[in-house]
Amino acid sequence: MRNPWAQTGNYKTSYRQDTAIFATYLEMLSLWALIAVLLALPFFLSRPQMFVLDLILVYALAVLGLNITTGYAGLINIGQAAFVGVGAYTAALLAPSLPFWLTVPIGGLAAAVAGGIVGIPSLRIKHLYLAIATLAFQIIFEWTVGHSTLLKQGGAISMPRVEFLGYRVGYKNHYYFWYFVILFVVVVLAFAFRNLLRTRFGRALVAVRDNDRAADAMGMHPGLTKIFAFALGGFFAGIAGGLYAYLSRAVVIEDYMLPVSIKFLAMAIVGGLGSLVGSFLGPAFLVLLDLNMEDLANWLKSLGLSYAGVDIASAMRPLTFGLVIVLFLIFEPRGLANWWRLVRNFFRNWPFKY
Amino acid sequence: MSYLLQLLVSGLVVGSIYALAALGFVLIYKASRVINFAHGQFIAVGAFTVYALVVYLKLNVWLAFAAAILFTALVAYLVEKLFLKPLVGQPIISVIMVTIGLASLLDGLIHLTPFGGGNFSLPRFLPEGGVSFLGVSVSYPQLLAVVLTALFLAGFGWFFQRSTLGAAMRAVADDQMAAMSLGVSVEHVFALAWAAAGITAAAAGFIVGTVSGINLESLVAIGLKVFPAVILGGLDSIPGAVVGGIVIGVLENLATGYLDPLVPGGGTADVFPFVVLLLVLWFKPHGLFGTEEIERV
Repeated sequence: MRNPWAQTGNYKTSYRQDTAIFATYLEMLSLWALIAVLLALPFFLSRPQMFVLDLILVYALAVLGLNITTGYAGLINIGQAAFVGVGAYTAALLAPSLPFWLTVPIGGLAAAVAGGIVGIPSLRIKHLYLAIATLAFQIIFEWTVGHSTLLKQGGAISMPRVEFLGYRVGYKNHYYFWYFVILFVVVVLAFAFRNLLRTRFGRALVAVRDNDRAADAMGMHPGLTKIFAFALGGFFAGIAGGLYAYLSRAVVIEDYMLPVSIKFLAMAIVGGLGSLVGSFLGPAFLVLLDLNMEDLANWLKSLGLSYAGVDIASAMRPLTFGLVIVLFLIFEPRGLANWWRLVRNFFRNWPFKY
Repeated sequence: MSYLLQLLVSGLVVGSIYALAALGFVLIYKASRVINFAHGQFIAVGAFTVYALVVYLKLNVWLAFAAAILFTALVAYLVEKLFLKPLVGQPIISVIMVTIGLASLLDGLIHLTPFGGGNFSLPRFLPEGGVSFLGVSVSYPQLLAVVLTALFLAGFGWFFQRSTLGAAMRAVADDQMAAMSLGVSVEHVFALAWAAAGITAAAAGFIVGTVSGINLESLVAIGLKVFPAVILGGLDSIPGAVVGGIVIGVLENLATGYLDPLVPGGGTADVFPFVVLLLVLWFKPHGLFGTEEIERV
């Protein structure tokens, strides 16, 4: 590497250099700058804005997990919301007796176990069937929660306010406190996600996705690898679930039903499957779209487009949602992450093009 | 005993709805290896078209049914041409995701009509009462459901075995490359498979409308119940879809009859098919009639 600050060409001469996370110091610096900006953001944002930011980051965690199962390992998961729900309900059950820094990881582990169980059919069958197995899990989860008195049959279970280092988190600083907790978890898990492909377990996921017979011949166990993918994706989802439970201060089944699973899949697709940056861009895009949907519906109403018996607002949501998924798949299957990549590559050599 | 028989009969009725829905689902899967998550929405399009034509335009029920079949087939055909065709050759995830997106899109479009929320029921066009034998009473709508399903299945059976187009569709399902080299237009067959699925979906929607009321949510739920049926029967088997649909319908009713009293809150019919699905996936993943994929390097 001639110039450690800018990459004017490909000077990689060893495998080590090729797998390095940061090719130049500039990239490392920009990441630190990003983290610094994220740490400073709470000082400039109001409470509602903080809530949106928290929401995006929590969704990003769930989408990161989905990007492991669906993006890396190529297993379609239509039950991610149920895994998030497993984490949330575990945290809700343990919250009265344990501190949050224990309940959230335990929720993650519970969701990982659930993921492993859902993945069991992958010992014998392949992707299409697995997608249906995750759908079955989603529906069984919803039904079980709806019928268990322990979980209030899907009604709201309220989460207690937490104490941290002897300091009680109240109404005013709720979203700010959880922002820093979530940000910490996001940084740790995003780092793990980025590093996964540098480990043999992570590369096994991609190998099994691309050609499971070849992977089998090279000594990987396709079935166990898929179960591992489900468990890992479930772990991320469970962590997201625990954090979401504390953030929204209540656990309700509506937050963990099939439409939410589809929302996560849409976020992953819009962001770009298997991409770290996409895992943040996708949730951000769809959460902001969702927020603007109400304004759009009101605007359409003011144009006189609404008529009796029709609720435009409830129509616009699935409509735009489906449209976004379909259009992205047809015109930009690699998602927003691809745009990010194009922009970055332009500036990588800029202003020296050759 | 007559309780059991009654459950079996009503299970058969529900099962024939599932069988029709599953038939369309399997047609698409066999032809193009696409898993269609928007099937429930197709059923809803069919059911609401019949309702709109009968109630708003005062059309004869059978005429409305024929029109709904044509309309749903057209919708499915256009969906294939507009959204699925650009994705030929893309990874399977994209293709499945696009049907999920379509499900959401169609949901939104239905919400733009007055049918988004609430219950609707077709005006009664069959005589009251029904026939009874062995102490089991079967109402005329139920009888119609079973007869109509049998007619449709026979019709499709004839179509696939005897007609040129049906043979072409079977050829594409068997081996796309070989079919193409013998002059079958694979593109055409894909779109036709979707249209055929639209026809069965409209029929399923109409039957739901005659047997019970229609609302968007329960019609979409039928689109999900198709999955247990096709997995039980085998994803790529047409007889399997029919048998699977009927078995799931019967099991669902047996669950309502015998399991509901044991479970607080009841409603086991909603979840029991999916438990069956998971068990089938664990122990006999290719279902009753599906072809087992044997891989050799």
